[in-house]
Amino acid sequence: METLTLLAGYLVCGLVGILGVFILWKIADGSIDLSRLISEPNGDASLSRFQFLVFTFVIALSLFLVIVSVKPATFPNIPGTVLSLLGISGSSYLISKGIQFSDPAGVADRSTDIVISPATAIVRYGQSQQFKAEVPRKPGSTVKWQVIAGIGTVSAMGLYTAPAASPAGTTQPQHATIQVTSDEFPDASDLAVVTLA
Amino acid sequence: MPVLELLMKYEIAIFLLVLAGLVAIKILTGEINTSGLLFGRISARKKGQDQYFSPERVQLLLFSVGAGFYYLTLVLNNSNPGTFPDIPQTWPGLLGGSNAIYLGGKAYARWLAK
Repeated sequence: METLTLLAGYLVCGLVGILGVFILWKIADGSIDLSRLISEPNGDASLSRFQFLVFTFVIALSLFLVIVSVKPATFPNIPGTVLSLLGISGSSYLISKGIQFSDPAGVADRSTDIVISPATAIVRYGQSQQFKAEVPRKPGSTVKWQVIAGIGTVSAMGLYTAPAASPAGTTQPQHATIQVTSDEFPDASDLAVVTLA
Repeated sequence: MPVLELLMKYEIAIFLLVLAGLVAIKILTGEINTSGLLFGRISARKKGQDQYFSPERVQLLLFSVGAGFYYLTLVLNNSNPGTFPDIPQTWPGLLGGSNAIYLGGKAYARWLAK
């Protein structure tokens, strides 16, 4: 009987271990998407969710440390003050959501726009201009830069470089149009216009 | 049985620590969205001009992280194994006050501020 119990124990331990590794692996490679773990439905990060996250980890680690500190391991009593702290955090979270949901703007998902800055620039021949792109829905996501009209080049980091000199025979000011496209949301793009001087 | 116990202990410890580490790394590298964490929005203003820096969020952030680390140090230095260390009676009041300030600021921005 004891051998069977031991065998079942090893089996459960192995299965839980495999499940744990699988979950961690999927989180690490992004298959389990945590990008909006502490975000509101409108895309803003939420402090009450962050507080809940911190307290959850603290209590989970504390529970583990307390349980393994005695032999045989037993489930401990949780003091009233700790429960009241968790209760305050939980209540605050709920009230915060109530306030958030009282206004449609607090719930509506943020658009998948991309915003380029500066939108216009004057660049001298042979000089460069750094452009930036912001994706409000997913800050830090990757974007693609290209010059879709006019002259000059733009790097993968959004650095536009004008040609060394104006094309021969031109008297009118030259322009370049730079387009930035979100990799995450391919339909979202924005333009900037460069005037060469 | 002691081997199995040890195995489970390490399994849970590694899982919790790696999970906490992954979440921390993803927050620090921006993979977990933190934009607007310290900013509130005033409902009465139009989009693009509605965001404001929110000190009430800063104090709650500091208090939450501080309280979390403080409690972990209490657990690590607990002289009474097998029990959760008690916290000072003033802490629930302080945390409640901190949360009340945050909620008050949020409610004001949502309903009253112009």
